[in-house]
Amino acid sequence: MEHAKDAGHGAAPAAHHGSLWPFVLGFGAAIGYAGLVMDLRILGLGVVIFVAGAVGWLRDDMRSPSRADYGTLIAPADVVRVSSRKLATWLFLATEIMFFSAIIGVSWSLRVRSADWATPGEVLNVPLTGLNTFILICSSLTMVEALAAAERGNQKQLKLFLAATLALGITFLSIQGFEYLKLFFEEGLTFTSAPGPINDLYGSTFYIQTGVHGSHVLAGVLAMAYTTIKAFRGGFTKENHEAVELVGLYWHFVDVVWIFLFTIVYLI
Amino acid sequence: MAAGHGAAEAVRKRPYVLVFAILAIVTLVELNVQVFSLAESLRIAVLLILATFKGALVVSYYMHMRYEPRWLAFIPLGALVLISALILALIGTGVAPVAP
Repeated sequence: MEHAKDAGHGAAPAAHHGSLWPFVLGFGAAIGYAGLVMDLRILGLGVVIFVAGAVGWLRDDMRSPSRADYGTLIAPADVVRVSSRKLATWLFLATEIMFFSAIIGVSWSLRVRSADWATPGEVLNVPLTGLNTFILICSSLTMVEALAAAERGNQKQLKLFLAATLALGITFLSIQGFEYLKLFFEEGLTFTSAPGPINDLYGSTFYIQTGVHGSHVLAGVLAMAYTTIKAFRGGFTKENHEAVELVGLYWHFVDVVWIFLFTIVYLI
Repeated sequence: MAAGHGAAEAVRKRPYVLVFAILAIVTLVELNVQVFSLAESLRIAVLLILATFKGALVVSYYMHMRYEPRWLAFIPLGALVLISALILALIGTGVAPVAP
C-alpha cells in the first residue's frame, strides 16, 4: 500500500489505496471455485494463485498503518462514526449469520424428522466441550482486552492479550480435534454412521455443524496469528489499530456461533 | 481515532471482566440444567433463552454494539429477521415426519 510512505507525516492519508493483490486473490478464488466443479488440478492452480495474492497482500499490509477510513464524504469522522471497513465487516458477519443458520437449521430440521436421536451426553463428551466453551469465552475476553490495550496505546498488553487469544484459539481447536479423533475412531461416530441404534444422521449433522464452525475458528486463528505477528513488529499504534478491532469482531462472532452451536448440538 | 469510538472516556470503564463472569456462570448453569428436572420442552426453551442472552452480551459489550450508532445493529438484526423466516419454513417441513 503506497500510503505507508505517508505514515510519518501525520497529515491526512493519501487518497490512493490501490493494490493489485486483492485482484490476484479474487482471481485465484474464482479459478479455484471453477476447478471444484471442473477439474481438481484447476482447483490446485486457483489455490496457488489465491495464496500468492494473500501473501502479497499481507506483506503490503504488514508495512502499512491500520488506520480507520471514514470515506470521502464531506461529513467529519465523528458524524459518520462507523469506518468503512468496520461497516463492511458487519455486513460480512451478516452473511455468516445466514450461512450458519442454513447449516444449523437444516440439521435441526433433519433431527425433528428422525427417530432414534442420541440424548445429551450419550455419545458426546459434554463436560470436555463445556470446558472448550469456557476457553472460547476466555479468548473473547482476552481479545477485547487486546483492543482496549491498543486504544490506550499500551503495546505490551496488546501483544500479551493477542498472544493469549491466539493460544486459547489453538487450544480450542486442539481439544476439538482430540474429541473428533476419539469420536470417529473409538465411538463409531463417523460422517455417515452413528454408534449402535442411533440414527446415522446424528453423525453427519454433528460433523457438518461443528466442522464448519471449526474451520471458521481455524481461519480466525490464522488471522489472529498474522495480527499478533504484526503487533509484535510494532505495526499497531493508538491511532492505527483498526485491524485489531476487525479481527476481534470476527473472533467474537465465532464465539457467539459456538454459544448457540454448543447448546443445540451438545445440550439439547 | 477516538472519534470512531464515541467519547474517549467511554473506552476506560467498560465492564469486560464482569461480562466474562456472567458468561462463565450462565455456562455453568447450562451445563447443570438437568438438576432442575424441567419438562423437556421447558428445558429446551430455557437453554435457548440462556444462549440468546449470552450471545446478546457478547454482541453488545465485546463487539461494542452498545457503543456504536444505533443503525449499525440493524445489520445483524436484519440477518436474524431473515433467518427467522428460514427457521419457520424449516419447522414447517418438519411437521410431517418422513420415514427414516
